[in-house]
This record gives sequence, C-alpha cells and structure tokens, in this order.
Amino acid sequence: MQPSISVSGVTRRRRWNDRITKWVVAVGGAGVIGAITLIFGYLLWVVAPIFAPGSIDKSPTHDVVERQPLLVDVSENGDVLLRISDDGIIEFYDQSVGTPIAAFDLEQRIVSADRVYPRVDLYALRTTTEKILFIRTQYIVSFVEGQRVLTPKLDLPFGNALLDVPASAVVDTQFVDGELIVAAAIGRSLLLTRYSNVEEGFPIGSPEQVRVDTGSEVAHVLLGPRNEWVYLLDTRGGIEVLSIKEPLSLLYKGSLIPIGMEMTATAALLGRYSILVADNTGKVTQWGLFKDEFGHRFEALRDFQLDLPAQSIILEPRRKGFATLDAEGTLTLLYPTSNRAIANRSTILAPGTPVAIAPRSDMLVAANSRNQLQRFELHNEHPEISFAALWGKIWYEGYEEPIFSWQSSSADTDFEPKFSLTPLAFGTLKAAFYALLFAVPIAIMGAIYTAYFMAPAMRSWVKPGIEIMAALPTVILGFIGGLWLAPIIEDKLSSVITIVVVLPVALFVMSLAWSQIPEKMTKRWAGWYGLLVTPLIVITAYIAFDIGPILEDVFFNGNSRTWFRDVLGLNYDQRNALVVGIVMGLAVVPTIFSIAEDAIYGVPNHLKNGSLALGATPWQTLTRVVLLTASPGIFSAVMIGMGRAVGETMIVLMATGNTPLMDFNIFEGMRTFAANVAVELPESEVNSTHYRILFLSALVLFMLTFAFNTVAEVVRQRLREQYGSL
Amino acid sequence: MGKFMRNWFASGEPWIWMNAAAVGISIVAVVGVLALIAVRGFAHFWPSDVQLITFADEDGTTRQVFAELIELNRISRQQFLESGGHADWISQDQEDVSRWLVKTGNRRTNPPDFRWLFLDQIQSLQSPSEVVVFERLEWGNAYGIPVELENAQGRIVGAEVWPQLRTLITQASITREHIDEVEQGSLNRINYDLERLRLKQRGLASTAHENTLELKRIEAEKAQLMGAYDAEETVLRQLYAKLDLGNVTIRTADGGAVNIDIADILAAWQPNRMSTFDKVGHYLGSIGRFLTEDPREANTEGGIFPAIFGTVLMVLLMSVIVTPFGVIAAVYLREYAKQGLFVRIIRIAVNNLAGVPSIVYGVFGLGFFVYFLGGNLDRLFFPEALPAPTFGTPGLMWASLTLALLTVPVVIVSTEEGLTRIPRSLREGSLALGATKSETLFRVILPMASPAILTGIILAVARAAGEVAPLMLVGVVKLAPTLPLDGNFPFLHLDQKFMHLGFHIYDVGFQSPNVEAARPLVYATSLLLVAIIVVLNLTAITLRGRLERRYRSVES
Repeated sequence: MQPSISVSGVTRRRRWNDRITKWVVAVGGAGVIGAITLIFGYLLWVVAPIFAPGSIDKSPTHDVVERQPLLVDVSENGDVLLRISDDGIIEFYDQSVGTPIAAFDLEQRIVSADRVYPRVDLYALRTTTEKILFIRTQYIVSFVEGQRVLTPKLDLPFGNALLDVPASAVVDTQFVDGELIVAAAIGRSLLLTRYSNVEEGFPIGSPEQVRVDTGSEVAHVLLGPRNEWVYLLDTRGGIEVLSIKEPLSLLYKGSLIPIGMEMTATAALLGRYSILVADNTGKVTQWGLFKDEFGHRFEALRDFQLDLPAQSIILEPRRKGFATLDAEGTLTLLYPTSNRAIANRSTILAPGTPVAIAPRSDMLVAANSRNQLQRFELHNEHPEISFAALWGKIWYEGYEEPIFSWQSSSADTDFEPKFSLTPLAFGTLKAAFYALLFAVPIAIMGAIYTAYFMAPAMRSWVKPGIEIMAALPTVILGFIGGLWLAPIIEDKLSSVITIVVVLPVALFVMSLAWSQIPEKMTKRWAGWYGLLVTPLIVITAYIAFDIGPILEDVFFNGNSRTWFRDVLGLNYDQRNALVVGIVMGLAVVPTIFSIAEDAIYGVPNHLKNGSLALGATPWQTLTRVVLLTASPGIFSAVMIGMGRAVGETMIVLMATGNTPLMDFNIFEGMRTFAANVAVELPESEVNSTHYRILFLSALVLFMLTFAFNTVAEVVRQRLREQYGSL
Repeated sequence: MGKFMRNWFASGEPWIWMNAAAVGISIVAVVGVLALIAVRGFAHFWPSDVQLITFADEDGTTRQVFAELIELNRISRQQFLESGGHADWISQDQEDVSRWLVKTGNRRTNPPDFRWLFLDQIQSLQSPSEVVVFERLEWGNAYGIPVELENAQGRIVGAEVWPQLRTLITQASITREHIDEVEQGSLNRINYDLERLRLKQRGLASTAHENTLELKRIEAEKAQLMGAYDAEETVLRQLYAKLDLGNVTIRTADGGAVNIDIADILAAWQPNRMSTFDKVGHYLGSIGRFLTEDPREANTEGGIFPAIFGTVLMVLLMSVIVTPFGVIAAVYLREYAKQGLFVRIIRIAVNNLAGVPSIVYGVFGLGFFVYFLGGNLDRLFFPEALPAPTFGTPGLMWASLTLALLTVPVVIVSTEEGLTRIPRSLREGSLALGATKSETLFRVILPMASPAILTGIILAVARAAGEVAPLMLVGVVKLAPTLPLDGNFPFLHLDQKFMHLGFHIYDVGFQSPNVEAARPLVYATSLLLVAIIVVLNLTAITLRGRLERRYRSVES
C-alpha cells in the first residue's frame, strides 16, 4: 500500500504562489472590468459640466482712490483691471490683490468712454472739448525671478487726430477690416465719419463724412455688422435702419416696442446682427433684421421676462451672452441662443454704474459709488446649451425661422454656433435605416436558407465565408462605396433600379423552370440552390445593367436623375443614402446573418421532425415551427445589426457628403453622430462647449448601442435556456 | 395549370429560391468585393504597354500622345454631350459612346496626367518599342523617347543614350541610398541629441538656483555635436554633388522636348520591348518596392512601408497589453469570481462592449488617455518641453492603449469560451492529486485553453489592424517624418505619431489632390490590408476548429 499524501505536503512556497495568483487574478480582473466601466464614467464626467447651472459669485472688493469712474474693464487674460475716470486718469490695478500697477494722465477731462466694437483693447473717449480720442491698452509680459509680470502700456493708435463731435451727440464706433467708423447722431441728423485703410500705430488719413437726416429724435446709435448698416432708436422704441454702404438708404422703419411702453435699455449683440431691447415691463426682446423679397423686416427672435425692467445691458465681448442690471441692483445673466436665464444675484450696484464683463466671460467688474472695484466671478462656461437648444428648433440670427441646425464653427469670431443634435440623430437613424433595409432581408433570408435548406457540405464553407466579411475593415468598404460604387450608381441609376425589379422576376422564372425538370434529376441539387442561383444573379445584373439605359428612356425620359428631381422633387448627391445603405448593409449582413443562422440552426430537431411527421411540408415546418421558435434569436440579430449600423464611422464618413441634412431622401447624404465626432473632435478646443457636446454625442452612441446589445443579449440568453429545456 | 401553381406555391418552392438568392447575393458580394480589390490592386504594378495615340482634339486638330490605357467604359449619348463631346464625332443614331481613360503622364508640362478619350476620337494606336517610362521623384511618370544625354562628361545622342542612362540611374539610386543613410542615420541622431540637450537646458533654466557647471557641460556637448553636424553636412554636400549626373532630354509624342534631371529618375523601363518574363520580373520588383519604400508626393506615389511598420508596431504593442489583461479578466470571471447575478451582469456588459462603436473608444482615448493622463504625465515628467506636449498629444502609446481597451472584450469572451469547454473532471483531477488552485490554473487549465486564448488574440489583432475611426483621434497621421522605432535612445518612441494602413486608405483615397492618380495605390493598399486580415481570421477559424476537435477527444 502506498503512503497517503498529506495536505501538509503543500509547501509554504506553493501556498504563497497560490495566494499571490489569487490576488493578482482578482485585482487584475476587477481592474479590467473597472477600466471598462471607466469609459462610461469618464464620458459622463466630461459631459456633466454642460448641464451644470451657472452662478454669479461675489469676490472681495478693492478700495481705490476717489474718482468719478466712466469705464472699468478687465484685460484679455483677466490679470489686470482698468479704470478710466472723468479727470482723464487711466489706472491699472492687479486684479487679484487690487494694488495699483500703473496710471496714465491724458491731461484733459473726459465725459464718456466706450469700447470700440469689436475690440477689447481699444476705447473711444469723448473729451469736454467735444472731441473723440482713441486709446489702446497693451500688456507687456516679462519674467522677473521666474515670476510673470505684466506691464500695462497705453498709446494712441491712430495718432493725436481728434474728431469733433458735439457734446449732445450719441455715438457708436466700430473698427472692422481696417475701416474705422464713427456714427454720431445729433437730434434728427446722423453724421457718419469713415476712415479707410486704417493701420494701428500709423497716422490716420482724412475721413469721408456723410450727414443724413433721420425721421425722429435719435436716442441710441448702434452700428450694424461689418459696417453694413446702422440702427437708430428713439426713446419710445421707434427704430430706423440705414444702410451705410453707398448709397445710403433707409432699409427699415418701425417700432420695436408696443405703444404705451417705454424702452429702458438697448444694445447690439456680438456680431451686431440682432439687437436687444428692454422695456418697462421687464421684458428683454432680441430682434433680428431679415431680408426677403418684400424688403427688410424685423423679427422678434425670443424674449426674456425679468422681475424688474432692465436699466442697463452689459454685453459679453466674445460671446452672444449678456447681463442686465435693474433698478434694485439685481444682476441677471442671460443667453439668447439657448433662451436661458443662467443666474442672478442682488447687488448694491446702481443703474448707470460702469460695469463690464471680462473678455473670457469669467468675471464681471463694476466701479461702485463707494470708490470700490467690485468683482463677481461668473461661472457660466456653457451657456449655449439647454435641452431645447440641443434637440429643439432654434431661431438663430440671420435665419428666416427656427430650424434644426448643426454648424459648430466658422472662420468668423462673431459666429453663432449651432449645436442642435437633431440633424445628427436624424442622419444616424437614416443611415441605419437604409442599411438595415438592405441588410435585414438578405441576412435573414440567407440565414434561413443556410440553416434550414443548405447542404452541410456547402454550409461548412458558406458560413465562414460570409462571416469573414464581418472582419473586413470598414475603411475598405467605405472606400469602395465612395470611390467605386457611388460613381457607378450615379452613372447607371436606372440600371440599379432595373436590377431591383428584374432580379425577383428572373428568380421566379428560374424556380418555375426548375420545377418542370423531373425530380429525379434535381434531387441531388436540393441543398445547393444558393450556389445554383449565383450565375443567375450575375447574369441578371449584367443584363439589367445593359437594358437600364433603355428603360431609362422609356420610363424616366432619358435621365433618371433629372426625372427624380423634376417629378418627385428628389435631389441627387453622388454620395448618398443609397450608397451608404448598400455598403453599410454589406457590413451589417454578416453580423445579422451569423446570429440569425445560429438561432435557426439551433432549433431542436425533434420540433422539426414532429412537424414533418404530422405531414407538414418543409416550408410549412419552417414558417410555422422553426421561424416561430427562432424569432427571438432573429430579433436579437437585428438589434445587434442595428447597433453596428448606428455606430459605424468610416463607411458613413467616406460614402456620404457629411452634410447635416434633415431630409429622408434616399438620394441625399447625411451626417451621423459617429462621422461628426471623427471629423470635428480633433479640431475642437479641449473643454469647450463644442468638445463636451461631441463627448455627449459619443455618450449617446454608447448608451444607444449598449441598450440595443443588452436587449439582444438578454433575449438570446432566454432563448438558449428555452432551447435547453425543449 | 392553376392547380399546379397552387401546389407549387404551397410547397414553398419559389420562396426557397428567394432565400437561396439571398445567400447567392451575399456570396456574390463577398467574392465581388474581394475580387475587385485583388484585381485592381494587383493590376497596379503591371508594366502595361505605352501606346502612341493619334487622336482628334476638341478643335479638330490631330494630336499625338504617349499614354497607358487604363480603363474602357461606355456612357450614354447625353453624358457624352455633357462631358464635352462633339455631336459630329458620333452618328445621329448612336445611343452610347465608348471612351478610354488614359494616363498621359508628363504632369509638369501637360497637366492633367489622366484624361478621357472617346473611341471615335482616336485615329490610331501604335506601340513604338523605344518609348521609355520614367518614374520620377516628383510629378509622377513621364513618357517619351530619350534622345539626348548631357552631363559633365559631355553629350551623347542617339542609340547610346539608353544604355548610358540606365547605368546613370543605377548610380543615382546608390547615391540616394547613401544620402538616406546619412540623413536618416547620423544626422537624425545628432538632431535628436541636440533637441534633448535643448530641453535639458530649458529644464535647468527654469529651476531657481543656477547650475553653471551643468550648463557648461551641456554647452560643451552641444558644441561637439554641432561639429559633428557640420562634418556630416559636408559629407552630405559631397553626396549631393555626386548626384549631379546631368540631364536627359526626351521627346514626347507631340514632338516637344522635356528635360529630366537624372537625379530625379527613380526607374526607367521600356515596356513595349519587355517580354512577358521581363514584365513579371518588373512586376515583382514593383511590388517589392511598394512594400519597402517610403511614400512620395503626398502619399500618391511610392511605397507604404511606414504605414505597414506603424500598423504592425501598434498592433504588437496592443497585443502585449491586451493579452495579460484579457486572460486575467477571463480567468477571474470564470475560475475565481463567485458565479451569480453580478458576474452574469458583468459578462453581459463585457459582451456588449464588443458591440460599442469604435469611435466611442476613440473619444474616450482622446479625452482620458491623451488629454487627462498625457497632460498630467507632461506636467510631472516633461515640464521643460511645455507648452509643446510630449505625451499630451495623440501618439503610439495612446493608440495602442485605446485599441487594447477596444479589443479586450474579444479576448475575454474567447478565453472564457475556452475555459468553459474544459471539463470539470480535469480540474478536479488536478486538485485531487494535491495541486493548488494556481498550479491547476497554470499547469492544466491555461495550457488547455491556450488555443482559445490565441484565437482571441488573433481576432483582436485582426480587429485592431482594420480599425481606423478611433485611431484618427488618438495617434495616426497622414505622414510621419520618422519611424517610431529607431536607433536613438530609448529606441521605441511611444510618444510619436505613426502611419497606419487603414488611415492611409482613407487619406489617400479621400484627401489627396489627385484622386485619379492615387486610386490604384489605394486598391493596392486595401489588398494588403485585406490579405492580412483575412489570413488572421482564417488562422483563428482553423485554430477554433482544431480546438473543438481536441476537446471532443478529451470529453470522450
């Protein structure tokens, strides 16, 4: 008898090894699973801030020397505060600690100071001597002992040239594309002064001046976009719009406020395509100027209702947002595109106090009446976003009506970004729909034949053969779709239509002919129809290709594309949903095919045999027993195919024009979430609204496909259990 | 007859045929796509004959041109008229027109290098034996008959030109190789060292206390490197002088003369004089050069070696990362974790992740790996290079990691499948013999599951090799100046961007200015990529088959 091996034979080292392995596996396994969940968590973490509410937070105030302030401002990078006072003294303070760093004396008294649109470093000052003076601030960066030091500098960029403007005038200035324009309204006349080819730091040339009479007493002058027109408003909300391109002409005359109400404040938003008008009921309305065949007209894009009338409007210099200040000192942050009131806060600020929002929109600074510089931190990184702005129709500046639009960037800095996800969601579903329209019938019918009728010898190579297609890189399919198939379809659209029509007929004829051949001869080919039919498909396609143009003459007046455009109103793009449907369909077919085939093949044999034994034909058995049993599996196959079609990137990128359209036309392209992310994310600025929205679309894709797949997987597991119990 | 039809429909026969047709369409599609790529891809390298085409121009004048015939197709009468055809070129009742796409080359003097010629426009086709195809460094191919060779040694005309030209071209290519060696080798190394020193210097400058000794040492090293640099540059200048081999004048078909610098000629051949055997040789040579050379002319000419290299390296790195993690996770789920609802949920989640769109992984990779991890790594370890990012920008490492994450579900699923197939009796047998759980795992279970693991890795590699969308976000570029693996310490540059076959297809096919010229190259690249992926998948399928057979014998 052999001696028994005791458990203590396990040496200490072996026991340690065992324990270490256990820990490594547990930690590693949990780590990998953690890393996978991290994807969801991280996407959410990036997306979350766009839904965070904004706020206005008070920062400590800085006490400063007593002066009568006319303007306060913040430097580009937010480090330096600037105060311009009526005694002609311009001071710079450290933003964080409030210590003065520099001061300049213009040696003349000043009555008003304003930014020159659209600049944040250029100011127009009006002196008591009825002149306008332009000053510019610069901040020189130097390093002293490793510390960054900013030295403010002040200069007169257009030289000492001073323009005469009466003290009673209302003035607006604009410096765009080397053209400096000063619009001054005195009573019922407008004086327009235009300097051309202006370069900063060089003496300014002599201006062109034009004087026009206006219909009413002008209270506010606002220059419009790119020196194209000027808005003139009176105190009761009456408005005149004058084109200031030669020749000067009246574009529009009307009123922006109902009779009986008063206008309390007005301002033109960045870009100056639309203006804000506040009235004494507390309403702030955004008005935009439009042009159509009947001429120019004003439309109210949207309005905000405040508790108290806004006494002044403070604009964000780099975005289209603004803040309002009412008689009780309540500051309210508003954003037009998303129609959001972002935050409000009550302050001691009185109307008429100089207030400014920093170029980065992260700070609001005011010079209050107690000789203090008061600062408010603005937390308002993503004001453009609201649920309605992402999914609803938005009335953007310059558009006739509210629309769905995705247009994330433009070369212009005063551009209004359009972040509607609806066209992208629409494009995603459109691409998936056409792909499935092509793929589902082929894949499922193919699966039925392969699983149920095909000879085992043929099945053993057909199945892996089709599955290999699933592994084919989509970039190749996309390339074939975009560069090979799209031109062919464009060329021979009628032939493609002919194939769709002729192929079923040819098949029908062939099967009819086959049934006429004595069964003795056809019996051994019973499982090989799939192969027998391929020459027919190739030949039919070939013939259809040739007769296509002939049929085109008969049915489509010789040109099918023109016919579709003229008769059905369908435009034709070369890279369109039809191409995507076919090519992406090809990519999805193997996925659906494989899973559906497994489901049908897995139907227990005794079910089939029972049915056949009761006298049903194989076809009856298939439709009444097999497909019914396998239907959950087929459903899950379609779900997984859908998941794949929704997230496919390269094919859509290469085989469509990538224009975010909202049209279900099969002959036009689309832009999907996935393609949009692939195109725009590399260019998007980190942590900007655009960046976070692209992450949001990735998150939407993730959740969408995850949901599809989970449903499919649960259904499939149920089915497996069901088969097991049968 | 009516009864027959009723019976026939009831038997389901026509529907069976319809279902069979779906299989037929799938087969035709698979075979068609593969055949299209194979035919176009292989055809690209064949040295086709150059024709002397005599044709009537738009304005009626007779012109001649040397060209390769690329493709014949037919368009309708209307399209013919729309694309600039003259109504009097075809007869009134002619429904459609045939036209040739011909490659005329000589892009510099007679752009564009591709044009359509209507069959009715062409008056005659000849293939003169002395016409030569020149593959140039720039401006694509040139076609013509060399008539004169001029260099420092003098002038040659007539029949002597061709043999002399061939020796000179060989000479030029040898010199070019030497230049490459210097530029890619020693000069590259010196530049790399200089950049390292510059960063070191910056790093020292930003620290508060001065380190004069160290700075001096760096200065000295820098001076030494600059000396070496100058020496190499002299060598380089000599080599470039050696490349000045004169120029050759060729006569084009329309009688014009074109001057080509011999240094610019990569290869020259006389296709019309070649025998089939010669052509096969040339063909194989072209394929070889395609696989081993760098791309030229915005990727539309030359080879794809850097793309192959980048793809392989990235996939290798990815498999190194994905294998241990995938296997550990699978072992944990199957062997160590307590089976229950939680593990079931995780298993479904892992399964589903394989179906999450790849672009989502790309977005995650860019946000988390590149900007978050990379940005922090830069702040911690490479502050001297900031604000220029080192790891805080898309690169090889992040691409590999992203794809590893993308493919880890594939490995987990496949490995788990292998583990489930191992009969319980084997585990119990091993444990009963006194082996610990870890010994059972390493000696019995993992070896038995190894084919499944391998299958998983192969499938992962195949998926990673074909994935493009996420890579566009985390690391590929259209043209990388250097390979990410070279002779400079630390040899493997994980922070570098790289080229990739799939992205190459997208970029050349869709972003290149001369799509017509680039298209054959895209087909050839596609062919290579498809071949790699099909081979990998077939291997996986075979392995899976072998695995199944193996366990059948264990179970019995």
